Amino acid sequence: MGGYDTLVVERDGHVGWLIFDRPDAANAMDATMLAELEHAWIELDRDPEVRVIVNTGAGRAFQTGLDLRQLSRDPTALREQSRRTRDATLKLTAWHNQVWKPVIAAVNGVCAGGGLHFVADADIVIAASDATFVDPHVSVGQVTAFETIALARRSPMEAIARMAFIGTHERLTAVRARQLGLVSEVVDPPERLREAAAELAGKIARNSPAAMAATKRALWGAFEQGLTGACRAGAAELVGLWGHPDQEEGPQAFAERREPQWAPPPVREVSTP
Amino acid sequence: MTLPTLDTLIVERHGPVGWLINNRPDQLNAMSAHMRDEFAVAWEALDADPDVRVIVHTGEGRAFQTGVDVSEIAGDGVGMERYRESLEDFDLHFTSWHQQVWKPVITAVNGICAGGGFHWVADADIVIAASDAQFFDPHVSIGQVVAIEAIGLLRKMPAEAVMRMAFVGRYERMSAARAYELGMISQIVDPPGSLRDEAQALAEKIARNSPAAMAATKRALWGALELGLTDACRAGAAELVSMWGHPDQEEGPRAFAEKRTPEWQPLTAGGESPA
Repeated sequence: MGGYDTLVVERDGHVGWLIFDRPDAANAMDATMLAELEHAWIELDRDPEVRVIVNTGAGRAFQTGLDLRQLSRDPTALREQSRRTRDATLKLTAWHNQVWKPVIAAVNGVCAGGGLHFVADADIVIAASDATFVDPHVSVGQVTAFETIALARRSPMEAIARMAFIGTHERLTAVRARQLGLVSEVVDPPERLREAAAELAGKIARNSPAAMAATKRALWGAFEQGLTGACRAGAAELVGLWGHPDQEEGPQAFAERREPQWAPPPVREVSTP
Repeated sequence: MTLPTLDTLIVERHGPVGWLINNRPDQLNAMSAHMRDEFAVAWEALDADPDVRVIVHTGEGRAFQTGVDVSEIAGDGVGMERYRESLEDFDLHFTSWHQQVWKPVITAVNGICAGGGFHWVADADIVIAASDAQFFDPHVSIGQVVAIEAIGLLRKMPAEAVMRMAFVGRYERMSAARAYELGMISQIVDPPGSLRDEAQALAEKIARNSPAAMAATKRALWGALELGLTDACRAGAAELVSMWGHPDQEEGPRAFAEKRTPEWQPLTAGGESPA
């Protein structure tokens, strides 16, 4: 897994890592990173050895959104990005790329503006104790929409509206983010973040990849529908796994007090929305 | 622009911050039919005033708001029937959301918030409270249904807490501390006497941001409560794109680079984006 300029993409056991790697630019997304993100998610999703993905950043920042200065020097990339924004067809995150493996965002520092995409679209979010969250869009005359729309479905909305309207003039701390349920674990000291993320990912990797993929589709699908419609779609995911070998193997391994030997993760299927 | 003088509400402006103050303290700010009508006027006036960039809503006395004025309902033989048509048509005009105010609204809960008072918690963007504020919903304890306020809250906070308030009725109160833990509010002000100062300070921070960008953001976020996630993002994209080419998008980065306060364009009437 190499050949990336702005990302580190690697695998350790069953855990895939996607690391933003422009530390001198606070990991802001330039044209190269925008293109590489799509490839990286798909590569990790296709790798049958990868069962869970950790997304974090190198250096002091987690992610700080679009690198507008660099993008404006590359009109083609900017045009393409503008088109994708207008059409709501971004390919930045696991959700955008229909990755059905569990994704952990490990927020290692400031997460600002467009960086919030990766928090909004992760399944699990943990943060270093010195991580902060801020959405500067309205302070520079920009609208905030995708990130905050998705965040408001996974956290009390008031906190997200406050972040949206206060802009650069206040930051949400890791501790408050955990109280709100936006983050499930605060890691202290902050240097232990990757270790904690690896530990958590290791636990998740012990579960059935097929069952987790169907579960993820059911839960994210529920954001699209009313409660009854979501339960009906969820029922289809439940039934979809009946007869799968993991459903024999799981109880058997439990009875025999051994680790289950799961079938490899389902082959990447992408339905067009 | 002069703001109106009303009987049951105080409407005023302090710098860029519009204030709407419930002013029936002897009735714990309960909403009479007259107050209900005046709310519609007050929100429209604050929305129309180009000098108002953010609105703070609070109450006089020891209550924030305690719903419909039950003594008026009980005393005049008409009762809740007077509101039948507006509810059946869902044609209400007493909150900023009903009135489609696209300026940010902060509710500052200064004391008791009961029953219908939750309308202004559910429909505000930001909610802060005095440390001695208390929240409870007595509807079912007096044989009334709670629906609209609770439905709004269910989309904005953990559901269990909303259901508990709906069914326990008047026999339990939620503290400001618990409301903060649940994310129903984002700030507790102590001592309670500094609530208005803190609300003004918070509003002034928000007033430093682009009015046009905030209006489009507010439409995107509230519109998202109507739709599935993917459709909400599509509608949000239209709000994003509506700001492209707006002068604030040049001014924001330039002011940042020049280390000065941005000179934002005033909002056009009704918060419509100019694009």
